[in-house]
Amino acid sequence: MDPFATLGAPRRFDLDLAALEKTHRELSRALHPDKFASASASERRAALEKAASVNEAWRVLRDPIRRAEALFQLEGIEVGETKEPKPSPAFLMEVMEQREELAEARAKKDLDRVRKLAAAIGERMKAAQERLGAAFDGSSRSADELARLLPLLGEMRFYRRFLDEASAIEEEAEEALLAAEANGEKVHA
Amino acid sequence: MAYSEKVIDHAENPRNVGTLDKDDPNVGTGLVGAPACGDVMRLQIKVNDDGIIEDAKFKTFGCGSAIASSSLATEWIKGKKLEEAEAIRNVDIVNELNLPPVKIHCSVLAEDAIKSAIADYRAKQAARQAAKANAQ
Repeated sequence: MDPFATLGAPRRFDLDLAALEKTHRELSRALHPDKFASASASERRAALEKAASVNEAWRVLRDPIRRAEALFQLEGIEVGETKEPKPSPAFLMEVMEQREELAEARAKKDLDRVRKLAAAIGERMKAAQERLGAAFDGSSRSADELARLLPLLGEMRFYRRFLDEASAIEEEAEEALLAAEANGEKVHA
Repeated sequence: MAYSEKVIDHAENPRNVGTLDKDDPNVGTGLVGAPACGDVMRLQIKVNDDGIIEDAKFKTFGCGSAIASSSLATEWIKGKKLEEAEAIRNVDIVNELNLPPVKIHCSVLAEDAIKSAIADYRAKQAARQAAKANAQ
C-alpha cells in the first residue's frame, strides 16, 4: 500500500500535516457507512475497505518514523529488525549514558534535568528529520544514496524511546503532585 | 500482552543489575541495541585468571522481556568458562522464559551482549599481551 497515494499526498518526507488531517477527515466522512445505507453489499464492503486503508494511511503519514519507513520501502529499501544496520558502538554508548542520566534525574526527582535532557534529544530527533526531509524531497535519488540514511530510522526509534520515557516521568511527577494536593499537603513548587 | 511468570519475576526482581569498572583489564563490556525498538543493553563480565566469569552485571533500558533476558543471561554466565558462556544461544533464553515470537529479538540482544562482552574482554587481553611483548 502507498499511504501517500491513498491520501493524495506528495511522496516526500515534509508534509503539510494539517492539510492532510483535513483530507483524512473528509475522506472518512465520505466513506462513512451511513452514506452507504442503501448501497449494495459489495459497495458497502468496498467503502469499508477504503475507509480502513484511509485510516491506516493517515496513521502512517502522521508518524515521522512510520512515514520514513514507508518512504524507504517505496524506494525498494527494506526496513525492520534484520534489514537495518546495527547501531554504531559510539552511538550506543551515548544512548546508554543519556538513559542513565535520565534514570538518575528521575530517582532524584529532578524534573528540570529531565526536561533539559528531553529537549537535547528532541533537537537530535529534529536534526534526523531534517536530514530525511532533505533526502526525500520529491526529487529522484539513487537507492544507494537513500540506503545510506537507513541508520537514521534506528536512531529515531532510540530518541523516541527516550522521549516517551521522559514524558512518562513528567506525568508521574504531575500525578504525585496532584495526589499530594488532594491530600491537603503543602506543596512547594 | 501476557508475560510468562519467569519474565515477570526477572523483570520485577532483576538479578545482577549494576556496573563493573570498564577500565579494569579483567572486565569485558558488551553494549548492544535494537534499532527496531530502541532498546539498549549493557552486559559486563569480570573474568578471573582461570578464564572463569566470576561476576556479571547488566543494565538494560527496554521492555520487560529485554530486562528478563539480560538478567537471566548474567545468572547463567556467572561461574562459567568463557567458552561455555559463548555457547549460550538465544533459543535457550526463549525456552527458559517462554518468550512469544514478537519478543524473540530480546533474547537475540542478550546473546549478542554476551558475545560482545567476551569479545571486548579478549581484545583487551590481546592488547595487554602485545603491550607486554613490546615492553620486553
